[in-house]
Amino acid sequence: MVLDSVEMVEIGSDDPYEVSALYAARGWGDGLPLVAPTADRVNEMLASLGDVDPDEVIATLAPRSGQATRRTIAVNAVLAGCSPKHLPVLISAVRALSSPEINLRGVNATTHCVAPLLIVHGKYADEAEYNGGLGAFGPGNISNAVTGRALRLILLHIAGATPGNGDASTQGGPAKYSYCVAENLKDSPWGSYASTTGVDAESAVTVHCGEAPHNVHDMESSEPAPILDKISSAMCSWGQNNAPISQGEYFVALCPEHAMVCADHGWSRGDVASYLFQKAVVNVGEVREAFELRAWEPWQHALRDRDSIPMTSHPGNIKVFVLGGAGKHSSIIPSWGMTKSVTVPIMA
Amino acid sequence: MQIYTPEGQVGEPQTSLAPSPSVLSGKRIGVLDNTKPNAGILLNRLASRLEERTKAELVTVETKNAALAAPDQVMGKLTKEVEIVLTGSAD
Repeated sequence: MVLDSVEMVEIGSDDPYEVSALYAARGWGDGLPLVAPTADRVNEMLASLGDVDPDEVIATLAPRSGQATRRTIAVNAVLAGCSPKHLPVLISAVRALSSPEINLRGVNATTHCVAPLLIVHGKYADEAEYNGGLGAFGPGNISNAVTGRALRLILLHIAGATPGNGDASTQGGPAKYSYCVAENLKDSPWGSYASTTGVDAESAVTVHCGEAPHNVHDMESSEPAPILDKISSAMCSWGQNNAPISQGEYFVALCPEHAMVCADHGWSRGDVASYLFQKAVVNVGEVREAFELRAWEPWQHALRDRDSIPMTSHPGNIKVFVLGGAGKHSSIIPSWGMTKSVTVPIMA
Repeated sequence: MQIYTPEGQVGEPQTSLAPSPSVLSGKRIGVLDNTKPNAGILLNRLASRLEERTKAELVTVETKNAALAAPDQVMGKLTKEVEIVLTGSAD
């Protein structure tokens, strides 16, 4: 049966385990129990959006060329446990994912463990109760958990990023279950990250396709440089794609206490990025020994073995935002490499 | 009771493969090396075998980043110079 351009199937009950089993038999789902996407639940989601076309194609997602409409996005939102307030974030995130800079075909199909991280900015993050404070990466916050999960279900179902078929990730990764936070604007000394991207909206969402976060702790420093030196050391790991590619972005999630140390010494967000760019460098000869460097540009190949090379090609590739609560733990989220982050206003 | 399926419709693919030629003899071959490990070795040997067996001719070897679409310049050159492109290699 086809209703409103989306097929429906018969099921005995709306028990989450039964839904999960039925879906798994058809190659769908993320392995966890699923909320039954009944017409009532999906229509309640769509009704919250107001007077918009539920079947407008928001984006066509690679590699399946699946058409993401508000209705199909809402179906996956219900499956993940979302409530209507999460739907505008998901619709906006799908728009961002379809931007050419994201390179979604590559993100979904690569053998790397890359997953899209959603960062919700501004007023809507507060209104929809997204967590940018203590424990932002999880567990425990409903909005972060279900929105991140819904985006993964959208990638699995609509985009066709099925492990072994549309997703060749060698080991997969926990970030592929759910990966969503809010920017901690309340405790940021620098204002919204979204505004630095040219997005002039009171609410926005950023999509950054990268690895799971890598922790950096600094308990002892009262000046910016020693804190950032530790962060730059984490950025120089040869396990990251940036080591042989050198074009990818880093998202640097500074905890409020580390950010405040930088701001108290008069450092701007850009100063932090510039410092990290200068310090996150590796020796060219050692990189040559380790990698075949197929992605290097001619100017990079011209460097001598004794030279240094930055881990990313431009300070603008180092994106700084504030995340977390009390404590002295920051993190970096290295990029997959062949992708650029995208920030868009939240619009249903 | 009924529930929605999650996939939605499939849109028009952005590109499709051209039909394979029925005869290779005399055709011009291009290699599009995606620079994955051993891709160039595999594809160039395949081209050599085809040259030996069919009298097709390897005309050009181009490269692209494995994670990105081939640049317009590369696609333009292949379109202009060859009739068969050998490509596609994973890790």
